[in-house]
Amino acid sequence: MEKNNRLNAKDLINVGIYTAICAVICCAVAMTGVIPVMMLLLVVFVPIFTGIPYMMFLTKVKKFGMILILNTLMGALMWVTGMSWYALAVGTVSGLIAELIYRAGNYSRKWNGIIAYAISGIYCWANYFGIFFNAEAYFSTRQNFGQEYIDAVTGLLPVWMCPVLLVVDIACGIIGGWIGTKILKKHFVKAGIA
Amino acid sequence: MEYRLNRDVHSFLDPRTKLLLLFTSSVFVVGNAGEKWMFVFYWILVYLPVLLLFIEKEWKAGLISIAIYVGSYFAQTALQNDLTAIESVLALMLYIITKILPTVILARYIVKTTKVSEFLAAMNRMHVTDKLTIPISVIFRFFPTVAEESRAINNAMRMRGIEMGAKKSTEAVEYRMVPLIASCSIIGEELSAAAMTRGLDVGKRRSCIWKIRFGIFDWIIITLCVTCFIWWGIGRFFI
Repeated sequence: MEKNNRLNAKDLINVGIYTAICAVICCAVAMTGVIPVMMLLLVVFVPIFTGIPYMMFLTKVKKFGMILILNTLMGALMWVTGMSWYALAVGTVSGLIAELIYRAGNYSRKWNGIIAYAISGIYCWANYFGIFFNAEAYFSTRQNFGQEYIDAVTGLLPVWMCPVLLVVDIACGIIGGWIGTKILKKHFVKAGIA
Repeated sequence: MEYRLNRDVHSFLDPRTKLLLLFTSSVFVVGNAGEKWMFVFYWILVYLPVLLLFIEKEWKAGLISIAIYVGSYFAQTALQNDLTAIESVLALMLYIITKILPTVILARYIVKTTKVSEFLAAMNRMHVTDKLTIPISVIFRFFPTVAEESRAINNAMRMRGIEMGAKKSTEAVEYRMVPLIASCSIIGEELSAAAMTRGLDVGKRRSCIWKIRFGIFDWIIITLCVTCFIWWGIGRFFI
């Protein structure tokens, strides 16, 4: 291949822009998490809403490493804003897997993109690790929400929910990615942006 | 007329110190590591961002944030026992505010006072690769832009009568998301053109007019952060 395969400043700036958009949307959606049921449903809503910018981002990706950087940064942002470091670890690994999947589709095939999005979105699921594996420490800092809230959340989240949430997350990622490609086709391809 | 470049300009804190402080704050204030054991450090870390704002003469922002913090802290301690459902949701929101606000203030301070070139130079000094520093600096530059754009789009859509939570909620989401992404991607093109003219793409070492070095205040804050971690380590592993 004669094409220059190193990431240049333009690619890196694109990564930064789409990370910012995804993070803002994530943040807006996650604000609803104070209601116990919504906290569980975040795993549904976050993948669906971030699907549109993410699919747009994938049209800009042509070189190895861009998805990986985006996911690492999203994980790092999650960590700084008070989730756990699990998001960073899971995000990095899933970013790498997504990168390989999308690369196998030559950075253009539609379904590879959707599956790559679904896989990379599991950092959202990683945020729940704190509740599953370290429940006592998690709730010791939240004691003053009242026992009702704690009971509501732990009642919704027994340990077997962990793999279920993963499946839900990936399924919603696929739905979100699919909606993303639809919207991309409807608006951006016509307008010549994508 | 002679124009002389002042080579000795440098900001109050080094970007590296600011990042260390942000990290410490997110571990101990948001993450609440150590809990009661870290009591003193917790309060120092909570009020330090406000102090930094005052040093930068941001009186208004500092006073507002401290008022919000103190108000929500006391309201939260008042709402302790025997809560109804609405009260507990309220207490939860106040609790989240008291957790996150100090770090938000700190992040705002960092974004406001750090020049992008200064940040890039400091990171370059630490041998962090460009592949991470350029996206990070773009993210920091872009947060206010995204917020501003989405506010403008929201207003426009409200004028057209496309409200959130109306009958066609999918339409409401689509009509907000699509213009947002379109305008952001156009702004991004301009941004990368600007970066090109500043020579981000050359691949050589860039020079920086800002003097990047640790001053006395940097050492004080670094000592504070390191002490936090050591004290936490003592409490965690030896007691």
